[in-house]
Amino acid sequence: MDLSFSEEQEMLWKSARDFLADKCPKTLVREMEGDEKGYVPELWKEMADLGWIGLPFPEQYGGGGFNFLDLVVLLEEMGRACLPGPFISTVVLGGLPIAEWGTEEQKKDILAKVCEGKAILTWALTEPSARYEAGAVQVKATPEGDDYVISGTKLFVHDANVADYIIVVARTAERANAEEGITLFIVDGKSPGISTVVLRTIAGDKQCEVTLDKVKVPKGNILGQVDQGWGMVKKIMEWAALAKAAEMMGGAQQVMEMTIDYAKERVQFDRPIGSFQIIQHYLADMSIDVDSSRVSLHKAAWMVSEGIPCTKEISVIKGWISEAYRRVTAQAHQIHGAIGFTKDHDLELYFRRAKAGELFYGDADFHREIVAQQLGL
Amino acid sequence: MDFRLTDEEEAFRKEVQDFLAESLPDDWLGVDPDGHSEQAVEELHQFDLEMRRKLAAKGWLGLQWPKQYGGHEAPMMKQFILEQELIYRGAPYWALSAALMTGDFIMQFGTEEQKKRFLPPIARGEVQWLVGMSEPDAGSDLANLQLRAAGQEDCFVLNGQKTWQTGAHYADWVLVYARTDPEVRKHRGITTFIVDLSTPGITMRQIPQMTGHHAFCEVFYDNVRVPKENVLGEVNGGWQVALFAVATEKSFGHWLINSGRRDLEMLVQYCKETYVNGQPLGKDPIIRSRLAQIAIEIEVGRNLGCRLNWMATKGMPIIAEACQMRPFGGAILQRLANLGVQILGLYGQLDEESKWVKLRGRMKYLHLASAAMTIEGGTNEASKNTVASLGLGLPREPKPAPKS
Repeated sequence: MDLSFSEEQEMLWKSARDFLADKCPKTLVREMEGDEKGYVPELWKEMADLGWIGLPFPEQYGGGGFNFLDLVVLLEEMGRACLPGPFISTVVLGGLPIAEWGTEEQKKDILAKVCEGKAILTWALTEPSARYEAGAVQVKATPEGDDYVISGTKLFVHDANVADYIIVVARTAERANAEEGITLFIVDGKSPGISTVVLRTIAGDKQCEVTLDKVKVPKGNILGQVDQGWGMVKKIMEWAALAKAAEMMGGAQQVMEMTIDYAKERVQFDRPIGSFQIIQHYLADMSIDVDSSRVSLHKAAWMVSEGIPCTKEISVIKGWISEAYRRVTAQAHQIHGAIGFTKDHDLELYFRRAKAGELFYGDADFHREIVAQQLGL
Repeated sequence: MDFRLTDEEEAFRKEVQDFLAESLPDDWLGVDPDGHSEQAVEELHQFDLEMRRKLAAKGWLGLQWPKQYGGHEAPMMKQFILEQELIYRGAPYWALSAALMTGDFIMQFGTEEQKKRFLPPIARGEVQWLVGMSEPDAGSDLANLQLRAAGQEDCFVLNGQKTWQTGAHYADWVLVYARTDPEVRKHRGITTFIVDLSTPGITMRQIPQMTGHHAFCEVFYDNVRVPKENVLGEVNGGWQVALFAVATEKSFGHWLINSGRRDLEMLVQYCKETYVNGQPLGKDPIIRSRLAQIAIEIEVGRNLGCRLNWMATKGMPIIAEACQMRPFGGAILQRLANLGVQILGLYGQLDEESKWVKLRGRMKYLHLASAAMTIEGGTNEASKNTVASLGLGLPREPKPAPKS
């Protein structure tokens, strides 16, 4: 047993921390919340040049050949820095599925561009019902000659406003079992018939309404097999939940550090407030939430990297950190007092992201249900 | 990074699992790692002795000690594996652990004679040890201990009392923390003594616990003569032993989490098999969610414990991490017991001896026993104080000004 990082991972971690501390100040984070695109193309290119965008993709397509645990190291630092932009959308929601199930042509065409920083990806699963189960996939894709035609509305689609390709999850057949008859389509973001409206969200991330009005998609753009997409959807949701948990981990660690520093500096009643026992206990609780999340995150990420099935472990961490990070940010606000409530203070950036992260691909209730199933109940 | 055990470690784990499958009765409900059951119920105590002998025969006691003292020079991970499996199955472990722990102190602070004399019997599973710390006025504030050890020509004479001594009525030896110098600052005037519990002047009174067990004792020392060669470490150096104990204690909290796995599995099985209104209890959304939450907390706790163990094998300082686990583990078992009683509903109240009892009254017992699990072995509050100061570097609370 060895719970340390490899030298390579340590280097990745350190270089990510330094790069983001320099290139992703909080002024940029705030700017992007109000920005139309939500990311800075120059910074995106720099990240691509560092090999970050292509990190988990095979080297033959321009990727780094790294594994999910390495990706988690990077994501933690991105969460610490509140890095805005379509990284998870491109790499996890769009890129990993293509790397896993794409045809040689799809991989060569799209992944290469992604690795060079020349293509933004995302996927569109949820619809106005805002649920993650198979029955909620209602947007229809109908065959017409060499194409499929897709019509309907997708909602809460991350970064659709800037995506070059959107993997749309659509229904191609009505069966008694709703899990059958679902197909994934790689849709060109500039296809006629696609219109996007950016929603205004608590974390300022670019979640969109995507309306598809008779959008034509060539049959060659199907990812995997017709009608057999649900298995892929479940896997992608697992990757999404784990990736977000990693981002949340980095944020939680930063919040704890900020709060410890504040407790040591803030003097009231002639002593640092960190010398009052109640504050010490709040912070002890916080450290338990933070440290417990980290090991469970790394275990799940390691299992993904080793190809060990880990549905339960992923739901354990996402279910846990959804509530733990929320507790951490709430407790941090309590310790910071009024100053933490101001827009000028960085804390509120994390508070809002903790809530958005909680909701992303399953809150604690959602994942508790998966764990219950895994227990055989 | 690799969460797997080596092939050799896995093989050892399987060996322990097989041993337990053979040694434990099929319907073994399990005892908690707090020692309360087997130090109170004679039948269970005899079973504890039997298990200890069998473990010694397998060569699994004193795993890490040098062979010359009866040990097996095995890596630390093997000890963790043994502990984990024993506790998961609810095999009696507390007394064994107390003996091994005192043995570790003797390894660290003992003279050659003391090691040669005391370690082999522990490794053979022949003796039960105890550590005498708490007193009526010294709980979390251990340095406030009052039991006096007055130095004489050829011995020390002990006068005073210890309390909350689990299994003292069965124990052979006790490592007592006593005050040898009342003039200096409290923690500087403490010495640890190895005391034979059959020494004249030692009397005991068993204390009934709210669980109905009598595992605890008050132990009274009335002019008890302890030979000078039974001082462990330096005279007035007892606080070093206490610090070592704190630094190396691998966390009662982690054991509780491991033990909780067994109880959770029992509850899950119960919910699969018990039907209400034509469907298993396990289909009830509230019960599913609550059981899953306990499962998540146990899993998260196990992973944290796994890291704690790994850090210990690497010789990293672990005090703060061990102090994180204590409140975590205790709280989980309290929630688990609460859920267990809720699931059983009115049946959750029934005692093991009662007609109509379900799950042999385990949840009712655990609910009562768990009230102590955030107190014993280090309270939540004391543990969190340590996390804050040692782990997070927060400034200590200033002491109040002395009363004039």
